[in-house]
Amino acid sequence: MLTGGLGTACYGLVKALSQYADVQLIIPQADRNQNLENVKIKGLNYYGVTGEDAIEVPEVPLEEYAKVHKVPAEFSNPYPVGIGFAKEAKALVAPEAIRALYSTGEPYGPNIMQKVATYAEVVSRMALEMDFDVIHAHDWITYPAAVKIKEMTGKPLVVHVHSLETDRVGEKAKGEWNKVFEVEYKGMLKADRVIPVSRYTQECAMEHYGIAEEKFFPVHNAIDPAETFRIPNKSGEKLVLFLGRVTFQKGPEFMVETAWKLLQVYPKVMFFVAGVGDMMDDLKKKVLERKIDHKFVFAGFLSKTNVKKVLAQADVYFMPSVSEPFGLSALEAAQFDVPCVISRQSGVSEVLPNALNADFWDTEKFANYIYGLLNYEGIREDMVSKTRKDIAQLSWDDSAQDVMEVYHSLGV
Amino acid sequence: MAAICFYFQVHQPYRLKNYSFVKIGKDHFYEATALNVEILNRVADRCYLPANRLMKSLIDENDGKFKISYSITGTCLEQLHRHRPDVIDSFRKLYETGCVEFFSETYYHSLAALYSLPEFERQVKMHEKAMLNILGVKTKVFRNTELMYQNGFADVLDNLGYKMVLAEGSIKYLGKEAANQIFIATNQKTKILPRNFIFSDDIAFRFSDPSWSEYPLMADTFASWLHKIEDPGGSINLFMDYETFGEHRKTETGIFEFMKHLPTQILKDKNFHFATPSDLLKIKKPNPPVYNATTWSSWADEDKDASAWTEDNMQKDALKKIYALEQPLLTLKKPDLLDVWGKLQTSDHFYYMSTRYRNDATHQAFSPYKSPYDAYLNYMNVLSDFEGLIGK
Repeated sequence: MLTGGLGTACYGLVKALSQYADVQLIIPQADRNQNLENVKIKGLNYYGVTGEDAIEVPEVPLEEYAKVHKVPAEFSNPYPVGIGFAKEAKALVAPEAIRALYSTGEPYGPNIMQKVATYAEVVSRMALEMDFDVIHAHDWITYPAAVKIKEMTGKPLVVHVHSLETDRVGEKAKGEWNKVFEVEYKGMLKADRVIPVSRYTQECAMEHYGIAEEKFFPVHNAIDPAETFRIPNKSGEKLVLFLGRVTFQKGPEFMVETAWKLLQVYPKVMFFVAGVGDMMDDLKKKVLERKIDHKFVFAGFLSKTNVKKVLAQADVYFMPSVSEPFGLSALEAAQFDVPCVISRQSGVSEVLPNALNADFWDTEKFANYIYGLLNYEGIREDMVSKTRKDIAQLSWDDSAQDVMEVYHSLGV
Repeated sequence: MAAICFYFQVHQPYRLKNYSFVKIGKDHFYEATALNVEILNRVADRCYLPANRLMKSLIDENDGKFKISYSITGTCLEQLHRHRPDVIDSFRKLYETGCVEFFSETYYHSLAALYSLPEFERQVKMHEKAMLNILGVKTKVFRNTELMYQNGFADVLDNLGYKMVLAEGSIKYLGKEAANQIFIATNQKTKILPRNFIFSDDIAFRFSDPSWSEYPLMADTFASWLHKIEDPGGSINLFMDYETFGEHRKTETGIFEFMKHLPTQILKDKNFHFATPSDLLKIKKPNPPVYNATTWSSWADEDKDASAWTEDNMQKDALKKIYALEQPLLTLKKPDLLDVWGKLQTSDHFYYMSTRYRNDATHQAFSPYKSPYDAYLNYMNVLSDFEGLIGK
């Protein structure tokens, strides 16, 4: 499974969906230790080997598929790990090579376009041998495969939008060399239905990609109930938590501005940054320039266990994202009874009406919210108790039923 | 003879400006003056002036048989006096007809009755004085903020010389007694006029609701409903915001037309007449039913209690902090600070912080904030600065 929101969301959704539909999940990289009841999972990392999760090699050999342009070296990288191309991408055909391509443990990666091309070739070939009613593709990496299958079989196509290139890189998404934008556009254009993870993402897809409104059927992500706990913070300083990749999309520069404004008035606070990303150096530089480096902790990438420990101590969860299709980590924070201050340009604000939100550039307002949460005792309990109710309203089962409704609307 | 008692509440608060935490300790001016004046002008032009004109003509046309009452808060009176003397003049003219009564209330439209009786008394006296000085009116009957009332409160009013008070006519407090009569407080002294909330809300809320089965409501229909009421020997009390006319219900809804025809329609039945609470005070009837409110009642929302102002932690915190300033302020004896304190007690500030009624259309229409959290944080920033001024 992929890291970040996409993998978590797919896991939750598919698990719930399997109660209502026969789900066959084909993913780039499967994990034999991670099974889902009633769901057949096949991973391209088990291409041409034996086992239930393995993929048989077809009799007619695979063909090389996509060709992708080189990406300029200065291209800022919004993905969890490296993306970029040493050469043009073609689909791989040799079983060993395919297995190796998807067995690196590294999602995305410098040869992402080759992975996408190979995935399209392998999966579309598999689809010809399978019996199914609807194609449901999650995010751009699977769209070429899905479009190809639709073209070959005529089966209805649903594309699920967890994130858009315009969220990840902003206006640069429309750059000539950016093939991701093209892939997303084509996927949504060819789809019979588009399921964005929020109304916000629908608006983005309509505005930046010009996709017709009638195709959309937003389905919010949910969160499974979890055991939560609190760890008393004895440091004497309040803790504001930023949890996520340090990339353009997550708005780290707005965090610095907010922190600076807050610290002028209220110095007894630490900003804890959990995550890595291509804007890390830039972030550290800005913090130094503002002379607030002693108020920042850069913890790097944290394991799930450690994330929970930090959530259990945090006083405020802060997500100043420039464009956040959903923002599952805000739900995780809210589940830990941490009051959330989040960007209005986010999907999660649609399901957390009792979080505080402001436009991502409105750093004084963010600072004002954080100041209030750290100083005024009346607000925390009201926000937390109402948010608990908001979270209790969310369930993957409801999301799955919404997805079923989309299928039904296609005559499935 | 059944009486119809119309009373209209006239109120405008001093809304706070957007007060970010960076202003604390630097900016000691809290009011959104431009916004407040803008709203005042709008309401004056859409409601107060045309409604006063209408009421005046109805009184003239009916040869004094049409009677009404008002309560104007100190914060509204003050703003009108400063920015719209024409509205003050028109209220004065109404008073001169002899068919209009004005009530007493807290100057700042506050919840002082719930939190500090000395402060409550100070504000009632202030209001009495303002009514006399600005409108030339001597008040006799009391209405508390949002019609809030509870049993022990009658004695407080009695000590201040008030023989009658207005309250919500919810079954919670009236018991099995018919609503349209004059009740008595548990002290067996103070008379209580309960609001007929069904008929009042027909005009104040449902009037412009197309999904209501009685929409559109005409004056003759409404009068016929009143005429059908079995006369319990009291009065049918129609209490509502004056802003119902032209502000909450726009002119296009026909609310003015409705009111224009209502007195004639009601007076068609010779058993009906209009009365002011002071008229009703003269009625001597043995063994009136007892109005029993063991906790604070109000005319708000479905619960008819004080929860819309006092239930949330944010409200409790803000109220606790504002009333904690009483002693330091009394020691300081600075009139300007006392006035700021009073304005910060205006109940509207706490109403905006209510989370339970966040999605309620009425609450939303009143609040200048996007959320109850914004209302609380803005208020607390202001309060932090004010505490600094007092040296607390």
